[in-house]
Amino acid sequence: MMMEKLKVYADRMSQPSRAVLIFCRLNGIGFVEIKVDISKGHHLSSEFTEVNPLQKVPAIVHGSFNLSESHAILVYLNSAFPGIADHWYPSDIFRRAKINSVMDWHHSNLRNGAVSYVINTVLGPATGRTLNPKTAAEAEKVLFSSLSNLEDIWLYGDGRFLLGGSQPSIADLSMVCELMQLEVLDEKDRSRILSPYKKVLQWIDDTRASTNPHFEEVHNILYRAKKKFEQQCSRIAETQTKPSDKIGGHSKM
Amino acid sequence: MKLKVYADRMSQPSRAILIFCKVNGIDFEEIKVELSKRQHLSPEFRAINPLGQVPAIVDGRFKLFESHAILIYLASAFPGVADHWYPADLSRRARIHSVLDWHHQNLRRGAAGFVLNTVLAPLLGLPLNQQAAAEAEKILISSLTKLENIWLKGNGKYLLGGLRPSIADLSLVCEIMQLELLNGKDRDRILGPHKKVLQWIESTRNATRPHFDEVHKILYMLKTKLSEQQSNQADSVMESRIRTPLTSKM
Ligand SMILES: N[C@@H](CCC(=O)N[C@@H](CS)C(=O)NCC(=O)O)C(=O)O
Ligand SMILES: N[C@@H](CCC(=O)N[C@@H](CS)C(=O)NCC(=O)O)C(=O)O
Repeated sequence: MMMEKLKVYADRMSQPSRAVLIFCRLNGIGFVEIKVDISKGHHLSSEFTEVNPLQKVPAIVHGSFNLSESHAILVYLNSAFPGIADHWYPSDIFRRAKINSVMDWHHSNLRNGAVSYVINTVLGPATGRTLNPKTAAEAEKVLFSSLSNLEDIWLYGDGRFLLGGSQPSIADLSMVCELMQLEVLDEKDRSRILSPYKKVLQWIDDTRASTNPHFEEVHNILYRAKKKFEQQCSRIAETQTKPSDKIGGHSKM
Repeated sequence: MKLKVYADRMSQPSRAILIFCKVNGIDFEEIKVELSKRQHLSPEFRAINPLGQVPAIVDGRFKLFESHAILIYLASAFPGVADHWYPADLSRRARIHSVLDWHHQNLRRGAAGFVLNTVLAPLLGLPLNQQAAAEAEKILISSLTKLENIWLKGNGKYLLGGLRPSIADLSLVCEIMQLELLNGKDRDRILGPHKKVLQWIESTRNATRPHFDEVHKILYMLKTKLSEQQSNQADSVMESRIRTPLTSKM
């Protein structure tokens, strides 16, 4: 009997979801993408809660086995599907340990900083939260320190990828997807944050190039969201200039 | 060369590594890195872990930090570590990764944030931040509820229905143990409603005795010191209450 196809529950607006989708496509893993639209509250539905009681995407169902947490999923897929190139999650115990280490570091550093910064400068209102400048300032600190650590510690050596790798691993994919959410910031802010980190910028490009066309396809939704936010911003800018025009008008009267 | 473990016993993830090595008879040398003396910022330690955090290990020429990655490495590199700690079975192993990944931004964030902002901050020369404490408490309680209802579901005594402890049980129980530093009322209010969690802490402690208690000794010593300080504070509050009416009479 054939095992049912792998199901990937994902919202393409979510970084870890994108990492899992790109990984499956790149490695020719047959799967069904099941959309869980967080902005519509689909992650709270009883169907999805069956799949992942923690109500977070991504999650997978493989036969009778269900699993959540993107890193655990990436590691599982590597072992469960034959033919995946060794560089994604090397079988060498030392290289594997270093990849585990950087992925553990990711949670409380890069992810923590990037998510909280984007939510508190741009995305908040779209998910029913108010923008909190104080939290944004704290998140910015975590984000900057994470970027410095990437630049100076994790991207060491001559390799183009993390930990001196000459080919990407699941850690590169996971963390570059995390950084891609900075695309929704306004261009000035994004460049203020990223431009001091030359190696990081090069690494984003290298990871993108080695995972295209899937990388771009799965990120399309983000570029569209960016346009939408830009339009919103210019509308806000317009409404902010109007009342001041009026005040000017009044004072002339 | 013997395995070197750089640790501060005041740190939860350090304790998890020390207990794991002892329980599994891994021969190692413990090298103390005292955070309160800022030894983690020394150039010697930076050469081991450039991020300046404990725990870290050196095994021959190989250096590694991040406690989960260390536990996985030790379970794989040292023969004689029983399978239940880090099962070879693909799906059991995947679930252990899942709960370990979840730990970072949930239980750890909640527990460490709450303890820091209710008791530890003054000892580290930091201010107590009530708002941060309140936010951490929310994350902590939600994490404990998820442990109780989701991760400890089923009949096993351990996470994910396990009959024997895994590295995830050890790591997460060590995290929760820092709640010992809270005053009794806070601790009971937070942990009391979570019966399965309490039972699981006991099971994990029993399965890793006597090492569990030995490595946690430092925590109980600090607890005693903290409660003495509290009762001293309470005394001085009483004194000033007694004094106030006197002055007001003058
Ligand atoms: N550490 C988890 C993070 C999962 C996560 O935070 N998912 C978010 C989307 S990026 C989510 O589902 N949020 C739903 C919610 O807000 O409750 C992973 O890597 O999979
Ligand atoms: N995720 C890391 C956490 C390591 C960590 O936060 N260590 C703390 C002690 S519990 C530390 O060394 N803090 C010193 C500092 O950050 O300056 C792990 O599990 O090993």
